[in-house]
Amino acid sequence: MLVFAASDKGGTGRSVTSANLAYQRALTGDHVAYVDFDFGSPTAAAVFDVPGAVRGTEERGLHSYLEGEIAEPARIDVWRQTEHPLLRARPNQSGRLVLFPGDAGGGEFATDEDALERCIDLLLRLNGEFDLIVVDLSAGRSYAVDMVLAATAHPRMRNVPFRWLVFHRWTRQHVIAASGLVHKEHGIIGGGVERGHDEGALRAAIRFVRAAVPDPESPLWSQGSPAQAAWMQSCDEALRRLAAEHRIGDSVVLGVVPLEPILQWREQLITEEDVLSTQIANKETLEALEEIARRLTDDSYWGQP
Amino acid sequence: MAPHESAPRAVLAGGEIRTCLLPARQALDVRAAAQLLGLRADERVLLSERPNLYARSPDTLTGIDCPLPSANGAHVRAVGTVAARAALTEGRILQTSAYFRLPASGPDQRQPWGHYLVRPGLLEPFGKLPHEAVAQGVLDGGRHGELDVGLIAGGLLTRLLRHPLLDQRPPLRSRPTRLRWVALPAEGDQGPSIERFTLAEDELRTVRLRVPEGTPPADVAGLCDDLALHDWLLTTLVRLLDGIRLGSGPPPARVGPPADDRPAVVAALRPAVDHLLHLWMPRARVAKELAPLWEALEERPGFTRQWQALVQRIRDQLTLHAIPSLYREVEPAP
Amino acid sequence: MTEAVFRETAADPRTQAVPLAHLSIELGHLYMEDFEAGPERLRQHFAQVRPWVDAARAAAAARAGGKRPRVSTCFLIDDYFTRFSSPAELVPLLLAEADRAGLVIDYLARESGCAVAGKVPVAEAVAGRIVESPPPGSYGLRPPAAQTGWLANGERSPVARAPQAMKKAAVWQPPTETAARRHSVFLDVELWSDDPDGHRTWSCPFLAAVWQLARLGLLRNEGEPVFVPQPPTDRGFPDDWDELPPLIRLNPRADPFAAYRTCSVLPNRFLPVEHAVRVILDQTEVDRGALRQVAERSAREDVAVPDSVADRVSYVFYAGS
Repeated sequence: MLVFAASDKGGTGRSVTSANLAYQRALTGDHVAYVDFDFGSPTAAAVFDVPGAVRGTEERGLHSYLEGEIAEPARIDVWRQTEHPLLRARPNQSGRLVLFPGDAGGGEFATDEDALERCIDLLLRLNGEFDLIVVDLSAGRSYAVDMVLAATAHPRMRNVPFRWLVFHRWTRQHVIAASGLVHKEHGIIGGGVERGHDEGALRAAIRFVRAAVPDPESPLWSQGSPAQAAWMQSCDEALRRLAAEHRIGDSVVLGVVPLEPILQWREQLITEEDVLSTQIANKETLEALEEIARRLTDDSYWGQP
Repeated sequence: MAPHESAPRAVLAGGEIRTCLLPARQALDVRAAAQLLGLRADERVLLSERPNLYARSPDTLTGIDCPLPSANGAHVRAVGTVAARAALTEGRILQTSAYFRLPASGPDQRQPWGHYLVRPGLLEPFGKLPHEAVAQGVLDGGRHGELDVGLIAGGLLTRLLRHPLLDQRPPLRSRPTRLRWVALPAEGDQGPSIERFTLAEDELRTVRLRVPEGTPPADVAGLCDDLALHDWLLTTLVRLLDGIRLGSGPPPARVGPPADDRPAVVAALRPAVDHLLHLWMPRARVAKELAPLWEALEERPGFTRQWQALVQRIRDQLTLHAIPSLYREVEPAP
Repeated sequence: MTEAVFRETAADPRTQAVPLAHLSIELGHLYMEDFEAGPERLRQHFAQVRPWVDAARAAAAARAGGKRPRVSTCFLIDDYFTRFSSPAELVPLLLAEADRAGLVIDYLARESGCAVAGKVPVAEAVAGRIVESPPPGSYGLRPPAAQTGWLANGERSPVARAPQAMKKAAVWQPPTETAARRHSVFLDVELWSDDPDGHRTWSCPFLAAVWQLARLGLLRNEGEPVFVPQPPTDRGFPDDWDELPPLIRLNPRADPFAAYRTCSVLPNRFLPVEHAVRVILDQTEVDRGALRQVAERSAREDVAVPDSVADRVSYVFYAGS
């Protein structure tokens, strides 16, 4: 199964959240690939704590692969090559977790027919090798989005299941932007249909993840005044109405990730250790990630809303 | 004498093989296999039904003009062609194999291209060839810009995997492997021998051989294709069993669980029974002179011994799960 | 492979041999414009060709070392790019004009036979045998964008591709001939073109390269010879080119059509085409079985045949158009 991670704007926590989903699935025994198609700003190396390993792959990343300069993109075995002390002790019975980094210093680039064919080659190969392939896409209506829309519409990929996760923050601007990315004229659905996707099927394969959502019930805000609590409550309701009006209401939400400093500031994987022993991360955050990871392949959360 | 035989005798042969599961729900029948491997409109695909179904493409050539990798840093440029072919065993295992041979010495400058094309699979070094150093260099993998036959095998594999015959629905998850080999001349009148078979990285194996002078490189490549095929089978079964949780605990949350409620173990092992277990057949197509080399591997580490143990384990698991739970004293795990 | 006792025919490739002469002389290529110029054009052509044919025969005799060399002549008519006249009208005229110059045309071929001979897609098969000459630095990676339908004798100028954001576009560089002696004579040959309906038209140089391979006895289809000369029927020459076999033997006593070497006597307007033919032949891997048979046969006869296929081909270009 392919999972594409998209967002209209930067700062939605798309990369760090999708990396955490990949990590969670690997913990449950799946073989997981994380493909960094965030061509403008590849950041996965930092999230998986593999900067040293990535340094050796400057000219052998996904950019070079798609441009045909190398035949196979570099791959980094996260369990083996991470500098994160906890990750290195690969949990027993976990699946493989492999990062496909972009080139260091690679920019956004126009993709041609050859790059598309190579993209399909890669996705098919990974599909034969991994249970789950998470593809992190550059923000906005990018070349990366175009390329994977074209790739998944290609006859060669007709039997490969895929799903989209669209990440957005829980603000007016982000809600409107995320809806635009999916529903506007040349958005994911419109662009996908132009490339040969069936509109209904594509729509059924898109879900939203609300990121950095402050939970009014959270102990984080329990010190606030009653007025503040009431205000938060009403804002939250207003946002829900706005989201529903923009066709990204609760029925198409796969999950909600609470506002979590560790994701906002450190951009790292959240381990049980972070929650249980050092307590730098919130239990709710970890649970939310585990639940979204589980729902990725739970068909009852997908399909026509 | 044929022009390709008028070339000086090879002192080094080498190659690389990619082995993978054919990404198709059903194994290809002989006709479909011939279609997949018909790399040339005017050359037949070799088809054989004994002792197993086997199809092999005609050779294709790739032009090369680059330095050779060498263990001691010697810089030797070589020009010529690398031959590559693809084979499909039982319509299920796809292999691409690229190989070359090198004579002890060659002309000091590049010849017109037609000179090389009538010597298919021959690379001519500029000057004298330090064959021991180059053999080790090939096994170690060269630096960027040095001869990389793996790219040629990989390129052919990519081309075949784009074929519209393939529905891209592999019956089980597996990883392709690479096997790199070199063959140096045997001492005196000694027979062929395997000097070393190494499991290098996750997917890379290297094989170092000694063969009597005059052994056709295509035969050596054929032996190595056979080694690669069986090594892939072993590797794939080991990983398959490795990924299954035996004993207590929840079954792994594999993507796309089976529609019925068969235990996860059965769901995971069933494809191996359907698609892999009948493929073990060492030496099926190895040249008679080279077939004895298998004996060394059967001795240590014992390829067939390990295979039989794995097969037995799979059958035991399936048998256990086939017993109605009513009659089981204890639930089989999981 | 395993035991000689057991044999599977589909697992045992065979290549059928063809009879071989020492030399195949091409007396000309006929296009519509030549035909439209009238019989005088043909007459002139054969008159110009004659002395060179004699010279080519003498050279073949010298190479054969005193023995009588087997030499056959052939003539190619274009019925591929344009259709004109008919075999019934043209062939007798052609034979008469050749005879007037004291020449005998042993074999007559149709150019469309070089595209598809009978049911065999010869041109497509040959196109699948092209192995591009590698520029220095070729280590096994396929070039990112092969120009399909074109074949060069070296490296093209790099194409300005849309670069990644913030990266500089490359400056222009000249193309280079791989076998250049100091300076390049770069040639890029169009092998075919496809029309919007997907119909492929093979280029004149490409078909001419196929023609040379046919004359060198190096074409096979699944091991079977492709250009097998047929005798003309008793009913004379047909009215439709399609009814004429791709290759017919006009002279029953002729030496074999295919030969160790070829020589073509052509007006010099064919020079660029034949340069292109050489570029193609130099990068075509011919059937290995056929190649081996030619080598073994010539060795038995003690006849020197150049290794390289392109070097087995020679030309005389005479002044004129």
